[in-house]
Amino acid sequence: MSEINRVDSANELDQKNRIDQVNHLDPVTFEVLKNAFINLVDQMSEQILRTCYSFVIYARDFSSGMCDVNGDTVMQGSQDVAVHVGTLHLTAKAVIESFKGDIHPGDVFIMNDPYVGGTHFNDTRIIRPVFYQGELVSFMLSNGHWADVGGSVPGSFDITATEHYGEGMRIPPTRVWSQGRYLGDVANLLVANMRVAEDRLGDLRAQAEATKVGEQILINLMDKYGKETVLLAFQECQDYVERVARAKISALPDGTWETVDYIDMDPEQEEGLVPIRVKMTIKGDTVDYDFSGSNPVIGCFLNSAYSASFSAVISGTKTFFPEIPLNSGFYRAVTAYLPEGTVVNAPWPTAVTGYCSGSYEKIMNAIFSLWSQIMPERAIACSFNLEYLLIGGWDLRSQQRSYFMWYDWMAGGHGGRSFKDGSNATAPLFGLGLSVQPCEGQERLSPVLTDVHAIVRDSGGPGKYRGGCGVEKGGTLLSLERAVMSYCCDRARSITWGINGGLPSNPHGVRLNPNKENERFLGTIFSNVPVKQGFSFTRPSAGGGGLGDPLERDPELVLEDVIDDYVSVARAAKDYGVVIKTIDEELSEYEIDWEGTAKERAYIRQNRKAWIEEDPYAVRERFVKGEIELLDVIRKYGVILDWQTYEVLPETTKEYRKMLQTRTVTHWKD
Amino acid sequence: MAKYRVAVDVGGTNTDVFIFEEQTGDIQVTKVPSIPSNPAQAIVNGVEKAGVPLSEVTLFSHGTTVGTNALITRNLPLTGMVNTKGFRDVIEIRRSTKEDLWDAYKDVAPPHVRRRDRLEVEERIDATGQIVQPLNEEDARRVARLLRKKDVKAVAVCFINSYINGIHEQRMKEILEEELPGVFICASSEILPEIFEHERFSTTVANAVLGPVVGQYLRELTTRLSDMGYDGEVLVLHSGGGVMTAETVVNYAARIASSGIAAGAIASAHIAKLCGYDNAIGLDMGGTSTDISLMYNGQVRVTKEWDIEYGYPIMFPSIEVLTIGAGGGSIAWVDEGGSLRNGPQSAGADPGPACYLKGGQEPTNTDANLVLGRLDTKLLAGDMTIDKEAAEKAIKEKIADPFNYSVVEAADAIVKVANANMCDAIKLISIRRGYDPREFALVAFGGGGSLHAAYLAREMEIPTVIVPRYPGITSAMGCLLVDVRHDLSKTYLVDAKTVSIEDLEKVYAELEREGKELLEAEGTPPENMQFLRFADMRYAGQWRSLTVPVARPISSLEETLATFHSEHQREYAWSSQEQDVQMYVLRVTAVGLVPKPNLPQYPKGGDAEDALTGTRAVYFEEAGGFVETKIYEREKLPAGAALNGPAIVEQLDSTVVVPPGVKAEVDEYLNIIMQIGEGRR
Repeated sequence: MSEINRVDSANELDQKNRIDQVNHLDPVTFEVLKNAFINLVDQMSEQILRTCYSFVIYARDFSSGMCDVNGDTVMQGSQDVAVHVGTLHLTAKAVIESFKGDIHPGDVFIMNDPYVGGTHFNDTRIIRPVFYQGELVSFMLSNGHWADVGGSVPGSFDITATEHYGEGMRIPPTRVWSQGRYLGDVANLLVANMRVAEDRLGDLRAQAEATKVGEQILINLMDKYGKETVLLAFQECQDYVERVARAKISALPDGTWETVDYIDMDPEQEEGLVPIRVKMTIKGDTVDYDFSGSNPVIGCFLNSAYSASFSAVISGTKTFFPEIPLNSGFYRAVTAYLPEGTVVNAPWPTAVTGYCSGSYEKIMNAIFSLWSQIMPERAIACSFNLEYLLIGGWDLRSQQRSYFMWYDWMAGGHGGRSFKDGSNATAPLFGLGLSVQPCEGQERLSPVLTDVHAIVRDSGGPGKYRGGCGVEKGGTLLSLERAVMSYCCDRARSITWGINGGLPSNPHGVRLNPNKENERFLGTIFSNVPVKQGFSFTRPSAGGGGLGDPLERDPELVLEDVIDDYVSVARAAKDYGVVIKTIDEELSEYEIDWEGTAKERAYIRQNRKAWIEEDPYAVRERFVKGEIELLDVIRKYGVILDWQTYEVLPETTKEYRKMLQTRTVTHWKD
Repeated sequence: MAKYRVAVDVGGTNTDVFIFEEQTGDIQVTKVPSIPSNPAQAIVNGVEKAGVPLSEVTLFSHGTTVGTNALITRNLPLTGMVNTKGFRDVIEIRRSTKEDLWDAYKDVAPPHVRRRDRLEVEERIDATGQIVQPLNEEDARRVARLLRKKDVKAVAVCFINSYINGIHEQRMKEILEEELPGVFICASSEILPEIFEHERFSTTVANAVLGPVVGQYLRELTTRLSDMGYDGEVLVLHSGGGVMTAETVVNYAARIASSGIAAGAIASAHIAKLCGYDNAIGLDMGGTSTDISLMYNGQVRVTKEWDIEYGYPIMFPSIEVLTIGAGGGSIAWVDEGGSLRNGPQSAGADPGPACYLKGGQEPTNTDANLVLGRLDTKLLAGDMTIDKEAAEKAIKEKIADPFNYSVVEAADAIVKVANANMCDAIKLISIRRGYDPREFALVAFGGGGSLHAAYLAREMEIPTVIVPRYPGITSAMGCLLVDVRHDLSKTYLVDAKTVSIEDLEKVYAELEREGKELLEAEGTPPENMQFLRFADMRYAGQWRSLTVPVARPISSLEETLATFHSEHQREYAWSSQEQDVQMYVLRVTAVGLVPKPNLPQYPKGGDAEDALTGTRAVYFEEAGGFVETKIYEREKLPAGAALNGPAIVEQLDSTVVVPPGVKAEVDEYLNIIMQIGEGRR
């Protein structure tokens, strides 16, 4: 307590009153410092947002954090991307582990290593130790998704990678400033291996500057309140979060719940869904997740390393406790067992860059479905899968050839909820603050003319509460050369599912040259597909899964959906059994045929359980002959085909139907 | 004959009227209840109540929440949209983000135009302005007729890349005007010729939905005022901190979306300037929220992006006002983790704080201030009585008992947490933007600002607090303190180091010509016109730009670049002379000077004791507890009166707390100036 007398003279609050006999802060000081910490990390975020060079960071794929001297997180940014949640402390601890005893004032470290506390190589983390009167007191973190970190594919997303070599620069904890001196040679070694190196130096500098903002605010707080008080507040902030979390958890019943979600396939194996199994146990005031039984690592980069999976566990849980602030206190009440060697804990050197489209959101959605049983009032069905499309090559539109990267991600539909529809066209669970890019900006920077950016009719999974609608975005390639296209997505087969009787939405996947002779379905994961001037492409994002039996949906709501063209007249009948009469299509005038609706609903009720068990090959034949639509194949018959060849995928269909039985069929009351 | 200038602030609850007599400098203020269904009537009521004949009014200016309220309540006319084929959902997809990242049940509001009313036509222009696909006129006619059948009251025409070439939008607008006579139509390339489709469309839609609402309101108001004998222009305050004539506002209705909020910021800045401060922070604390604004070097801070509802930006320059949920009615509570919180939930006016005895059970800031003796049990000159026992009971049960505090300690803690929240907000708008609060004055107004201001200033090391003479109607006064102002802009993406000055001059000249036309149409004589130039600039590769002033005419670009580097250094603590710099958007502000009132000054020399009404026990922790404190009546405080804290000054709708050790003086404008510390002025 020797620091206790260091109080700014302007501040007349009595320092001694702040710490009572049992070494607790008084409520006012605690609240003031807690808010000051929130303010601190948000100021770091504001700084990075306004000075970054990577448009991915600008679109809010970044986070800011303040950790204590042990590396535990005290506070993180209130608008941080979900995918960094639960990893900041691991990053800080990795730096501490690597540089123990060799950390000095003025040092700044960089790292992006997913195997020791990062997520994927693009997420580059800058860590600044903070000293107060010569003593190490904290670490400031600024993490952002760099648009490129080298490797064989522009944007550093190489779907063919099975090991990380060649995906991009792997940066273990590394010093870039040493006691205030910028180590230009080290920084250059790193960025010289990346595309558009000068922008990467811009990001490095912007992030380092952001951590400096945090450092200065913390020093000011210590000047004003005294070091001991602030350090005590570090601990109390974590204790506070732990206390809130435990209190909320103990109010819930004890028990064990299990579920499974799937990645589409392992490209090195025969067709078949790749399971991620989750067993959740609530015991007293703790929650534990056990991922035993999950699939071993697969032969593509959709695996996830430990820290990224832990992030998914935390983000998934946090969604059901939106008001709890996040720091390491939360991790004392919420734990996870992630068996090594599986898709949720891939060891070095397994490729994990695509984890965000692979294991990550599967874990989140699976956790959502478990909590939906415990807190039905906050239930939510599955949401669309994060997707990234990248076209890289040489832009020939002007005399000066330049390298371009059309790096695009879409909004999509979110799952239906306990008393309302899922939200249309919303950012992925991966980061609900991740903003889509304006076509007008993209068209200036890249030779890609956007043909469509629109909501997809019938994409919302049918349910008493419909899944939100997905989006379609596609374009035509202008003057370019040596261009390639890559895609990182999933759920072409493990299609976005409904719960409590709700139905699935629609499959993901890119189509090249749609409705032309050379049309090709490229699927959800591919890289370096050569593309030429004049080629066109498009892809949908899935809608959300439905919640509840679609036959119980209020026909008036179906009518409204038809009027707004979220649902077609044809699918209103097929998915909801609601027969709609068209009065004037141009003016969006429709009405409900009540009698027809009653008949249609009775007919569907009578037959739907049989439909979902029909021979998949017979279903396929009827689809190929044009007797039924693609959405019938999925929603009515639960059959999954290869969407390029239209061959039946028997193992995938078997597993998918099993899931439909659990999530959907058993909830139908007929 | 007297010559009056009348300023009116139409708020949600009250319509405030501020009247200034040009020859004598006399000021008159009145307050009447607002009439949401007919705001113009409340204005007329207010002017009548003041007893001012409208034939003797030379200038009528007002700020209004008509636009803000219409957007908040969504009480809007049926509006259609015409889009490029493939892009009718831009306004629904937005940037796809959510405001609340963690609450899966909290949604962004739906767009103002329903999907069924968003129609598409074949047309396409590329990023360079070339026509890729000509406008299909047949399609355009078909769409226009459909909209007529739908009986829409307004249409927004929003095509991709129209910011660079508006020819298709123009043609579409013509067709709509032919097919839908009398319907309000606006094209995005006219409203905001700036890149990024969602932001431009969103601004255009806001303009379209507000056009009929604002138009009807202003027609009614101008008719009523002219019937009553007023023959001048009706000026309306817009979000950017200037006024426009009623005729212009009708076409740019979205510009008044934050009209009412801007007024307070302008007035507080003006008052600070009168007191000799070029740097000031405005603190307008009301019943449910506090608005904070900032003036630096005599300029009120303006933001390029503003929204009433998350996800639907209005991209007109707007005075930057940070609103937080901290007001007199904000509720103090203990959360599950045992942390003492304050707001953002508010007891509002109904049921109100516990002490109102209208059924409120939760302790609020007002209850805490009452328990501490800072508020009297009689408010509004005795028109309202509040109950101290009820306040004590609420604080005891909800706060004091859980923390094992006395009621007074708990009340003090509540006020401290409220102050801390307001300080955090002040930090966001000052320190976070690179401004040092020690170089500022704090102007405290609204009902509650002066109760808390001295403590906020002390915490933030702000040396001076100014409490205006009429804290409750400061906003109305703001409307008389501004010029006619039009903001025009054009996306213009060039390298700032190599662009030719002639090219820039051409674009600026074109924008100035547009501004001049607007000013001429409003009757501004040439000698009263001023044109200010700005450019949005950024380091090449960066994603966000800064707006910096540009000389007129431009002699060299180096000056502009130097300004950019130094502004970047201040805002982000970093700049680089070597980096390439881009210009991005060129802006012109066309100003039509309006004569300002000279607020009356009084000779100093009065004595505070003339205004002394008695004493009361008031709690000051720094003085060791309750202290017998002198109470003064604001109306009787003369210029020059000196106050030594602890002291309380009471007036109709606000109370000033002068803490122990603080010295205050009444200046020649009758503002109360408190000196809190040394600062860095």
